[in-house]
Amino acid sequence: MNDLHPRIRVIWILRAVVVAVVVGAVGVGMATFFDVSPLPPVGFAVLLVIVGVIHAILRYRNWAYVVRADAIYLERGVFTEIRTEVPLVRIQHVDSRRSAFERLVGLASTVVYTAGSRGADVTIPGLTPGEADALRKRLKGLVIESDGEDAV
Amino acid sequence: MKLALKAVPYRALQKTTTLLISAVFIASIGVGVPVGPPQFLAVAVGSFLLSLGYEVAYYRRFEYELTDDTLDIRSGVFNRREREIPYGRVQNVDISRNIFQRLVGLSKLDIETAGGGSTEASLKYVTAFEANRLQLDIRRYKRGESPESHAEGATVADTDLDRDRAVDDEELLFEIAPSELALAGILSFDPRVPGALIALFTGSVPFISPIIPFDAPPLIVFGLLAVLFAAGLVLAWIVGAISAIVNYWGFRLTRSEGELRYERGLLQRYSGTIPFDKIQAITITDNPLKRRAGYATLVVETAGYAPGQTDGRGSEAAVPIGSRDRVDRLADEISSIEKPTFNRPPKRIRRRYLVRYLLAIAGMTGLLYAGLTVFDLADAMPWYLPAVAALGTPLAAHYKWLHRGYWLGEDHLVTRNGFWSRETKQVAYYRIQTVIETRTIFQRRWSVATVIADTAGSLSILGTGAAAVDIDHQDATRLRETLTERLRTALAERRRDRQRSTAFEWVDTKDEERSDSTGASGNGQDVDQSHTNRSDDSPSDVDRSDDDSSSRK
Repeated sequence: MNDLHPRIRVIWILRAVVVAVVVGAVGVGMATFFDVSPLPPVGFAVLLVIVGVIHAILRYRNWAYVVRADAIYLERGVFTEIRTEVPLVRIQHVDSRRSAFERLVGLASTVVYTAGSRGADVTIPGLTPGEADALRKRLKGLVIESDGEDAV
Repeated sequence: MKLALKAVPYRALQKTTTLLISAVFIASIGVGVPVGPPQFLAVAVGSFLLSLGYEVAYYRRFEYELTDDTLDIRSGVFNRREREIPYGRVQNVDISRNIFQRLVGLSKLDIETAGGGSTEASLKYVTAFEANRLQLDIRRYKRGESPESHAEGATVADTDLDRDRAVDDEELLFEIAPSELALAGILSFDPRVPGALIALFTGSVPFISPIIPFDAPPLIVFGLLAVLFAAGLVLAWIVGAISAIVNYWGFRLTRSEGELRYERGLLQRYSGTIPFDKIQAITITDNPLKRRAGYATLVVETAGYAPGQTDGRGSEAAVPIGSRDRVDRLADEISSIEKPTFNRPPKRIRRRYLVRYLLAIAGMTGLLYAGLTVFDLADAMPWYLPAVAALGTPLAAHYKWLHRGYWLGEDHLVTRNGFWSRETKQVAYYRIQTVIETRTIFQRRWSVATVIADTAGSLSILGTGAAAVDIDHQDATRLRETLTERLRTALAERRRDRQRSTAFEWVDTKDEERSDSTGASGNGQDVDQSHTNRSDDSPSDVDRSDDDSSSRK
């Protein structure tokens, strides 16, 4: 099983901070408007950051993936643990992508699409750009090899 | 080929009507412009002429053609579009005609492909004969046969003949009996009606509230509300019954080579085809009432959008209600399957369900109490009434557990869920897309897990794949691995079958088949061929298998 790149935690924490800042700003704005103490919303935002940090750490700890000969296997989730098997025959196409946050810390993710109704796209985050490209190419090769005639 | 000429005035009228309705709506809001009959007439004539002009242009631009391996459509007045749809990608071909269209002899033909959330191609409108011809020809092309050449202006007699021949090789699988149709009506309940009623009532509260004698004893108010509520339910039921009967009037399901074909509808007639190799899952639903009376509902799920799903009607190829043995036989015809013996979740899980139901009831009672307190009626009203339902929770929890289960068959995963409405779902192993195992924080406490065998997406609520819920976590891991493994072997087997079948077809007719089999890669067409070869009733198949054995020697 492969772990994600440790720096992925930075992205997740950053995201939590952004959410907390937005929520906090709205809260403080409303508090000043209604002329009440702005402390509760600030406290709430701080709490959100703390929860976000803990969540990010646990999430990182629980994330693992492996590309087997016939399927991709992923384990993830903090509250709900999810284990997914994506058979290579079922892969429709593969993307590697980099969001703004990811570019900031020099990471990338690979997205695997299937025709399924709920597991339709599976994202493997926290890869170095090189890894993401390599994974995409490797999956492409494996998919062609495994002969995806029955994709639907 | 062109659309039906009759479609031009029909479409123009249709557009005008929509325009006029919105015009009347805007006028009724009041725009300050005086709107009398002359103005209205002017608007009506003007918009009719405008739309007629557009429709003539649309008609002139719209062209479709059946080539050897694609359906080509060129269309568009302002934006031109050319589209080619390979036959192998076609999921359903649906024909629908509403009551007006039937009067003037027009049909709408919709072509659905996998994956898309919308109709891939829509021919609005062709003549009824042309629609049937297209449906037949697309089916033939899909099977890889070239249909007998149709002259551009195929005469009515020709098409009739064709249709008869096609009907001949169709085998009737299911035809709704009048009693079943009546039952389907009785058992239908349209949940949208109470919603609409509530919206209506909340909007009209200021007008109604003087009528309700709020100074009367609270019990009378309560009774009055109850009567209103009951009336709403009855109305919902009547609307549901009528719409079910109108929808499923004359429902029949037939099978022809490699395809299911359905027909239904009283005011709007629908008919369509579903290739067998596009069927993702079969769901049989019943509830205690239906079980007692010996009835069940069957839904055939396909990948991709099917018309009618958006309005909550479910898949087109759904048997709304049929006697249990007929439904079972039908399911067996579509995908033969052994009698399942279900593996149930561990018994301890019943306690979890019990707690869950009790919490739900407590929550409901609490809400009711809070609501009544707001109106200062808590002392007079029996707010504790819902709590009586708690008496039923042990039974509900038991049945929820009893109905849950999964079974690994020869070729299928079968799962069953639901305490009231019991849903049995069959998914062939080779149809599985991904296998997902989930454990929520609560499930981990009971060391259970849920395994979902996801199939290709359909937009229906049911289209979530077969789920084995709350099974022991060790079983879950094993099930997940088994499913992945069986998917792999099932696919390998199918590929072997296919290679064998294409191998001997090459011997048969070298040049044609080679181009065919390459053209068909990546779609279900070759599955059709293997299907054909397996049935040995036609002499040509026997010949082929002879060829096969000789070529192998």
